[in-house]
Amino acid sequence: MIALAGVYLAQLRVHLASQLQYRAALLLYQLSAVVEPVVSLAVWSAVASARGGEVRGYAARDFAAYFVVVMVVNHLTRTWTMNEFDSRIAEGTLSLSLLLPAHPIHNDVSDNLASKLITAPVVWALAGVLSVGFGAVFDLSARRVALFALAALLAFVLRFALEWMVALLAFWTTRSSAFNGLYLTALLFLSGQFAPLGVVPVPLREVADLLPFRWMISFPADVLLGRGGVSWALRGLGAQCLWLAVVVMLLAVVWRLGLRRYTAVGS
Amino acid sequence: MRALGLALRFLWIGVAGQMQYRANFVAQLARSLVGLALGLAGLGVVLSNTPVLAGWRARDLLALLGVYTLVGGVIGLFVRPSMQALMRDVHLGRLDFALVLPEDAQLVASVGRVNAWSLFDVALGLGMIGYSALATGHMGILQVLTLVVTLLAGLAVVYSFWLALACSSFWLLKVENVLLVFDDLYEAARWPLSIYPGWLRWALTLLVPVALAVTFPAQTLRGQLGWWQVTGAVAAASVSLWLSRRLWLAGLRRYSGASS
Amino acid sequence: MDATAITTRGLSRSFRFTVREPGLGAALRSLLRPTTHEVRAVEAVSFEIGAGEIMGLLGQNGAGKTTLVKMLAGLLHPSSGEVRALGHVPWRREKGFLRRIALVMGQRYRLDWHLPAAESFEMYRAIYRVPRQECRRTLSDLCDLLDLGEVVLKPVRMLSLGERMKCELATALLHTPDLLFLDEPTIGLDVEMQARIRGFLLEYNRRRGATVILTSHYMADVEALCERVLLLDRGRVLYDGDLGALSRRLGTHKTVRVEVAGPAPELGRYGEVVERTATGARLRVPRESVPEVTARLLSEHIVSDLTVEDVPLEEVVRLAFASGVSA
Repeated sequence: MIALAGVYLAQLRVHLASQLQYRAALLLYQLSAVVEPVVSLAVWSAVASARGGEVRGYAARDFAAYFVVVMVVNHLTRTWTMNEFDSRIAEGTLSLSLLLPAHPIHNDVSDNLASKLITAPVVWALAGVLSVGFGAVFDLSARRVALFALAALLAFVLRFALEWMVALLAFWTTRSSAFNGLYLTALLFLSGQFAPLGVVPVPLREVADLLPFRWMISFPADVLLGRGGVSWALRGLGAQCLWLAVVVMLLAVVWRLGLRRYTAVGS
Repeated sequence: MRALGLALRFLWIGVAGQMQYRANFVAQLARSLVGLALGLAGLGVVLSNTPVLAGWRARDLLALLGVYTLVGGVIGLFVRPSMQALMRDVHLGRLDFALVLPEDAQLVASVGRVNAWSLFDVALGLGMIGYSALATGHMGILQVLTLVVTLLAGLAVVYSFWLALACSSFWLLKVENVLLVFDDLYEAARWPLSIYPGWLRWALTLLVPVALAVTFPAQTLRGQLGWWQVTGAVAAASVSLWLSRRLWLAGLRRYSGASS
Repeated sequence: MDATAITTRGLSRSFRFTVREPGLGAALRSLLRPTTHEVRAVEAVSFEIGAGEIMGLLGQNGAGKTTLVKMLAGLLHPSSGEVRALGHVPWRREKGFLRRIALVMGQRYRLDWHLPAAESFEMYRAIYRVPRQECRRTLSDLCDLLDLGEVVLKPVRMLSLGERMKCELATALLHTPDLLFLDEPTIGLDVEMQARIRGFLLEYNRRRGATVILTSHYMADVEALCERVLLLDRGRVLYDGDLGALSRRLGTHKTVRVEVAGPAPELGRYGEVVERTATGARLRVPRESVPEVTARLLSEHIVSDLTVEDVPLEEVVRLAFASGVSA
């Protein structure tokens, strides 16, 4: 455990240094983090005004608050191993990282954390600007913030494990980017990114309830905004833990199978 | 005409080159279909709550999505691959092959690289526009004409924008990232411009001209584009083509060292 | 047809760039008052090349070869001086000029990676507006000369480096250019393929009377193709003229390789020892004393093998740069 912490510290330092080299690009990438919620917000505000100011309990300012928080959560939990894994296999860098005495996932986690450390202040500042610009109102309490922090942390771990597993698909196909596109599309609608799950058609919501996606993005937002009470939030945290256990077990299996295939193909 | 012929030839080269990769065919088709599903699902979720969004009915929104997909497809087909190659070649100082051809260098640089798979998006976009036009019912020849004219004008504006960005690499390093900004903002064009707050509407019209390229043509299908707007689009297209041409020539002068 | 293909007079090209010390303070300072340096890549180069000549352009890295070629081909604007090629001012890049020149670069490819070369030929035929009939004739000529056959029907990515270079050459010559710029055309190829490409270039030059400007690091290329060489040193012309004359002027020594039976004795008194082996040595001997030295070697030792060689061209060129011959 202590050894692992040492590994993380070392990796984090390297990733921080290397990402600071590209800070301008890194900040530019955050623009997409803003455009997406602004688009959703504009669409749903228009829907609300078409329906006389409200869509199933969401007024324009509720949408504003929701999408601002979703933007923050989405930034915190975002991963990008998926986009890189096929080229790691193709270019042989995966083989190199397999030679290291630490599991490659740790390197990705610290890379992710480093990037978040640099960009979080920017995204949070942007969230503040959007909140003011769109008149979002937050009614926060210490308890809610604490629950939110816990939910967001679990959401990050869950999403990281799940998306790392999706990335492993590249072991079986050289065209994994098509699958990644499919995954991201599903995520957009089933996680509450495009619209709060409260306003999507009922069948879609029922599908979302059966899948882990909503626990990765909309759940922490709903906790912070106080939709549902404390007991609902606690049950949600339980669901997150349950899904996390399932995904981590699956991940272990898929990783082992994938590695066996990778070494059997022998590149 | 000559330009069109050359573009088609490059297109054919691109298609012929990619046809050998059958696995890519399925994957890329899947990609385009996923994009389509994403667009339609978005429409579906919104339309389940309201039949009309800021004055746009379902088939209007479908037409808008069609134009969005079509324009995105054309950008992906010629503009993006060619302009990315142009920037790379300028940085590495290897524009030479394009410059020794007895053909207008801007033309060669603009259509020389092709991503054939974007033809799927072009086809899907055309399909959506066609479907929505049929749903609208009778379309006069005049309406079809304005649609084509505004589409071409929009494409010209977007092309000029990309060319101008790519040309800036004659002077600046690292402009590739700016192109990402275009992709991000282009996302916003799949919805009617009128739903956005004022500052964003201006940004989408002036800063990154996606509004002109997508919203205008889609509006012709609703019969809501006046003559002055069509004229304005054509004027904007001419001006931006002219400006980007000047910038290209200035860039070439710098590349060959005539100006420094 | 003009008798001269290229004329340059006082052709110069300098590059200006800003230099900056590392650090933020220096960055700010250079923003306010940039320090610029000027590098003269090509300086006051004057020469004339007759139509049909093959000229080799030699020089170390950074000597200005590429800059000079780019100015001749119209890719770079000269800072000062004049240049005319095929009766045109190159940098105006008039279509009439571009249709008569071609550029081949050994490390850069213009053929589409995924497609058979034949497909790309068709495209360049259209760009250069070569009539179909004429193109077919040229192509069949080129394919014969280069021994291409089926190769042009295979996707380029499946070709060997040599086959690929041959296809590149065919592409460049499709419009039968009168002026051909070759930049390291044999780089990376094996010896046999190098020889074939050279043979082809000579043949093309003979048949079409095309003017060729060649830069290469392989002296064998230069030796086989060029009667005339232009030596560039730090942007200036060091030597312009006959290759044979240069080698006679600088090749004041010959190499004598001698092997004796048994362990090698001390051979230093016969000439400068360049290399020593267990049973012999390589000696550098002044040209005029070669007969005497070999006679002495043969009489004073039990010689098992003895050869006399001219100093290789590499050596001549190295000498030229070291001693700075003047034209």
